Amino acid sequence: MVAGADAGLSMNNRLKVLRAERNWSQADLADALGVSRQTVNALETGRYDPSLPLAFRIAKVFGHPIESIFSED
Amino acid sequence: MSKRLWPVIGKSLLGLIAIMVATLIVGIGVGFLVARGVVDEDNAILTLMTIFAVVLMIGAMVVSVAWMRAIDEAAREAHKAAWFWGGCSGMAVGGVGIVLASLPQAEALQFTAFDGRTDPVAYMAAGAFAMMMLMTLGYVIVWAWWWLARTRG
Repeated sequence: MVAGADAGLSMNNRLKVLRAERNWSQADLADALGVSRQTVNALETGRYDPSLPLAFRIAKVFGHPIESIFSED
Repeated sequence: MSKRLWPVIGKSLLGLIAIMVATLIVGIGVGFLVARGVVDEDNAILTLMTIFAVVLMIGAMVVSVAWMRAIDEAAREAHKAAWFWGGCSGMAVGGVGIVLASLPQAEALQFTAFDGRTDPVAYMAAGAFAMMMLMTLGYVIVWAWWWLARTRG
């Protein structure tokens, strides 16, 4: 899902910070989300924007609303 | 690689082996019937290989579906991008060959399609195979670029 990139927008996210706060490895977060570690890495570095369902899963895993995790650049 | 892919790979290999063994067994049976003069050899080979090819390709599609369902959304996006951009690019390269081959001047070119064959069906198969290889090459290049650009580091 790269709709943001298509519209010339890019996204920021706080995944790395939130993961570090919980002392989780990328693999831990990947397991919790049901994705690969490479995908978590791509999300954290902003090279891949998640789909809406995955964004909701991320919000649920961290217990934060989506808008507090993802923001427009 | 996703842990969910290992069962897909295992079942795919088992399926492939099952198809090969079934083809071998049926082939032996058909060979026996051909040797006894019950069925014509060419018809038997054509029928057997048609069934083998159809079952193999259906199996390939089933594996593709299982593979896409086992990978995560980023990996799926990589395959979609690779299919569109890589496949289209490969097709564009093949398109140049089609245009040139359709020129009257190309009639003077003489070459064998494969295995020394120069019949129309062999040329058709060679052309289809060449187009498939170009699309696959484009697919692999774009997939590697997409995946490595986003997941390295």
